[in-house]
Amino acid sequence: MTELHFTRPVPVRAVPEGTRPVVSLKGITKRFGKVLANDSISLDVYPGRIKALLGENGAGKSTMMSMLAGRYKPDEGTIEIDGQSVRFTSSKDAIAAGIGMVYQNFMLVDSMTVAENVLLGQEGSLFINPAEMEKRVGELARRYSLDIDPGARIADLSMGERQLVEILKLLYRESRILIFDEPTAVLTPEETGNLFKALWNMTEQGKSIIFISHKLEEVIALADEIAILRRGRIEGELDPSLIESKAELASRMVGKEVLLEVNREPVETGRTVLEIKSLTGLGLVDVDLTVKRGEIVALVGVAGNGQKPLVEAVTGLTRPPVDTVFIMGHPWRKFFAESTWNRSMCYIPEDRLGLATLRNQNLVDNLLLTTRKGFAKGLWLDKKRAARDTRELIEKFDIRPGRIHALAWQLSGGNLQKTVLARELYRQPRFIVAEQPTQGLDVSATEEVWNRLLEARSMAGVLLVTGDLNEALQLADRIAVIYRGQILGVLDTADADTPSKIGPLMAGVID
Amino acid sequence: MLKIRKRDEPWKWGALVVFLGALLFSLLVGGLILAGHGKDALHALDLLWQGSFGNAWALEGALLKAIPLFLCSLGVAVAFRMQIWNIGAEGQFALGAIGATWMALTFPDLPRYVLLPLMFIMAFVFGGVWAFIPALLKLKLRVNEIISTLMLNYIAILLLDFLVFDAWKDPASFGFPMTPEFTPGAVIPSIGNSGIHWGLFFCVVVGFGLWGFMRFTRLGFELKASGEGARVAKYAKIRYGMLVLFVMTLSGGFAGWAGCIETSAVLGRLQGSLMVGYGYTAIVVAWLARLEPLNIAFASFLLAALRVGVENMQLELQIPAAFGSILEGMILLTVLAGQFFLTYTLERRQGGE
Ligand SMILES: Nc1ncnc2c1ncn2[C@@H]1O[C@H](COP(=O)(O)OP(=O)(O)OP(=O)(O)O)[C@@H](O)[C@H]1O
Ligand SMILES: [Mg+2]
Repeated sequence: MTELHFTRPVPVRAVPEGTRPVVSLKGITKRFGKVLANDSISLDVYPGRIKALLGENGAGKSTMMSMLAGRYKPDEGTIEIDGQSVRFTSSKDAIAAGIGMVYQNFMLVDSMTVAENVLLGQEGSLFINPAEMEKRVGELARRYSLDIDPGARIADLSMGERQLVEILKLLYRESRILIFDEPTAVLTPEETGNLFKALWNMTEQGKSIIFISHKLEEVIALADEIAILRRGRIEGELDPSLIESKAELASRMVGKEVLLEVNREPVETGRTVLEIKSLTGLGLVDVDLTVKRGEIVALVGVAGNGQKPLVEAVTGLTRPPVDTVFIMGHPWRKFFAESTWNRSMCYIPEDRLGLATLRNQNLVDNLLLTTRKGFAKGLWLDKKRAARDTRELIEKFDIRPGRIHALAWQLSGGNLQKTVLARELYRQPRFIVAEQPTQGLDVSATEEVWNRLLEARSMAGVLLVTGDLNEALQLADRIAVIYRGQILGVLDTADADTPSKIGPLMAGVID
Repeated sequence: MLKIRKRDEPWKWGALVVFLGALLFSLLVGGLILAGHGKDALHALDLLWQGSFGNAWALEGALLKAIPLFLCSLGVAVAFRMQIWNIGAEGQFALGAIGATWMALTFPDLPRYVLLPLMFIMAFVFGGVWAFIPALLKLKLRVNEIISTLMLNYIAILLLDFLVFDAWKDPASFGFPMTPEFTPGAVIPSIGNSGIHWGLFFCVVVGFGLWGFMRFTRLGFELKASGEGARVAKYAKIRYGMLVLFVMTLSGGFAGWAGCIETSAVLGRLQGSLMVGYGYTAIVVAWLARLEPLNIAFASFLLAALRVGVENMQLELQIPAAFGSILEGMILLTVLAGQFFLTYTLERRQGGE
C-alpha cells in the first residue's frame, strides 16, 4: 500500500555472456560457539548488478556480509575476488580490495561537512583546502547523480542524506562492491526512492551492489537477482521477474505460507489510557492526543518532527509540563510515582540495544530488567522461575538461538526485538507505546508482531509510533500526523481518502 | 609477518593468561631496573619471593595486609560496577578508623562482644557518610565524584591528624601523635596462636555476602543493570539516584570496616602510621580483578604479598621505598595494556596479497 517511489528503468538485467563474477564466496562457514551462523555458503556477485539477500531474522545475512567486509573471519571456505582467493584481516583490507559496507548506524562526524567526512582518513587529505575538497566530492556526487551539497554539515542532514554521505565515502575509496545492510529501515519512502535511483546509477557504471532488506516489495522492485538464506544456508537464487507476488516470495523465504496481511476486527473501546492536553514545550506545540483501550493510534511523520520528545514525555524519560499528560487517568507525576510492574504501561523503544536491553547480560537478566518486581520474593529474586519463564518466552516467540544464556548483543536485530516484545507483553500492559516495532523484522516476525499488537487491544490501548505508513494503515484506527512538533491532523483509517491525505500532512501542507 | 585482528569471540582464559603474563613482564622489567642500579637482579627477585611467599611468617604478613586491601577494594568495586568512580576509599578508610576509635575511647570498659560490634557499626556509618556526601553532591549539584571523593581524602587525613595530634592524644605518649592504647575489649583477637586475627573471617563473610547480594537480590540486580548506564536504568524504572546513594554508602562503609579492623587488630590505637595508601592500592586491585569479588580476594593477596616482599628486599638491599610503587604501577599498566589481547589477536599473515 505504501507507494514505492521507484520503478526500474529497464527490466531485470541479464548477466552478459562470459562475464566473470567479481566476488565468489566458496563454501563459507562461520560458527559462534555452538551457533552455526553460516553453513557452507557459496555465492557469486557480478558487476553491474544488484543482488538482494533475503532471509529470516537470524538467518545469517549480516554475518555473511561482515565476513565479506573483513570484520569476521570465516571458519571454513574462501572468498575470491576477480578469481583470486583473498584473506581479510580487517575491514581496511576489504576496502583496499574494493569492498565497502554501509552500516546501519552511520559513522560520521556531526560537526564536519559532507566533503570533510568523505575525505576523513584519506591519505593526503589533511593538506587539501576546503574548496578543493568540496569540488572533488561534488564531482563525485554528480557522476553518480547523488543529490547532496558537499558543503553541508552532517548535523543538518536527514537520515537519507547521511546515508548518501556514507555511500560517497565508499565511492571515493573506489569500492567496486557496495554492501547495504537494511539501508531503508530509517528512510522515508521518498528517500528510499532516491537511494534506489542512486544504486541503479551506480550499477549502470559497473559497480556491484549487495542489498539486504526485509521489505519484499523493495527487493522485487530493485534487484536483478535474489538469493534466499535460511538458517545459515543458501536456499536458492531467484529471478525477480519470475516472481508473481510478494506472498510467493515470502513463502519461499520462510518455507511455509505467509499471508502478509492482518485481519483487523474492530474492538470495543474502553477507558482512556493516554490523554495529552495542549502540551507545549520540549519541542512540541499544542499537542492534543487521546488513546483508549481497544484502539491503536498511530503517530506518523518524517523522523525528527517531535516524535521523540513526545514519546519520552509519555514514557517517563523526560518530564512534561504539569497537567499536560495523563496516563490511565492519573496525572503524569502521580502515575510514575505509583506505577506497578504489570497491568500498567509498557514501552517498546526504537533503540533496542541501547535502551531496551542490557547489552552484556543474558536473556534471563534481560527479562528481569522490567519485570523484576514480579519475580521478587522479599529481598530476593526468583531466578529459577525467571529462567523457566524466559525459556517459555523463547519458545513462544521463536527467539533464536534458543539459549537463555545468549547475551543481548549477540542476537540478530530481529531476534532482539522479539525478546523485547516478549518481555513487554509478559507484563500484561494496559497501555503500550510501541516505537518502530517492526523495524528490521522479517515478514513472518512482522506479521506476528502485528497480530500481537492487535490482540493486545483487548486489554490495552496502543500508541504506535512508526515511519512505515503501511504499518500505520494496517494496524491503526486513527493516524495522527506530526510535523514540526505539531499534530496537523488525526485521520480515521476507515475513511477511504485517508491514505492520500497523509503524505501532504507529513510535508506540512494543510489545505 | 604478524597482523592484528579483532577476535570474533572473546578469549576464554584470556584474562588469566594476560594477568600472569603482565605479572611476569613487570617482574622482569623490575629486575632489569635493579640490575641497572648495580644490584644482583636474580638475588633481588629471590628476596622478593622469600619475603612474600617464602615462609609462614611472610605469608602471614601478606595475609594481614590483604585484609584491609580486600575490604577497600570490594567497596571500590561495587561503586565502579555502577560506573560511579569512587576514588575516596583512602578517606573513607580513615573515617572508619576514626569512628571505631571514638567508640573504643568512649566506652573502654564495655565487654568485647558489645564494644566490637559498636566499633564496626560506627566505622561503617562514618565511612559510609564520607562517601554519601560526594554521592549527594553528584546528584544534587552535579559535582564530579572523582574530584569530590579525592578532595575528601585530604580532609579525612587532616581530621585524623588533628585527632591524634590534639583532641585524642594520649597524655602519656611522650608527645608522640597517637591515642591511648585500646582496652582489650576493643581489640580484635587473633585466631588461635597464629598472627592472623579474626578480621580475616570477617572478610570471607563480607565477600560471600556481597557476592550473594549481587547475584540473588533484587537490589543487586538493579545495581548490575544500572551499570549499563543511567538511561537504561531510567527506562527500567530503577531509582538510579537512590542506588547511587546506596552504593556509595556501601562502598564507603566497606572501606570504613577496613579502617576499623586495621586500627583495632593491627595497631591497637589510632595513629598516623595507619595511612599507608591501602585506599589507593585498592583501586589498582579492583581494576586488576575486573571488579569480581573472588578475583579481588586473589589480587589483594597478591599485591599485599608484593608489598611485604618489597619491604624485605628494601631492608636487605637498600632499595628506595618507591620501588614498590613502581612495581605496583607497572603491573597495573601492563595488565591494562594486556587487555588489548582480549579483543584482538596477532596472527601470521598467510598467502594472498
Ligand atoms: N558475535 C556473535 N556471537 C554469537 N552469536 C552471534 C554473533 N553474531 C551473530 N550471532 C548469531 O548468528 C546468527 C545469525 O545472525 P545474523 O546477525 O547474521 O542474522 P541476520 O540474518 O542478519 O538477521 P536479522 O535479519 O535479524 O538482522 C544469529 O543466531 C545470531 O544470534
Ligand atoms: Mg542483520
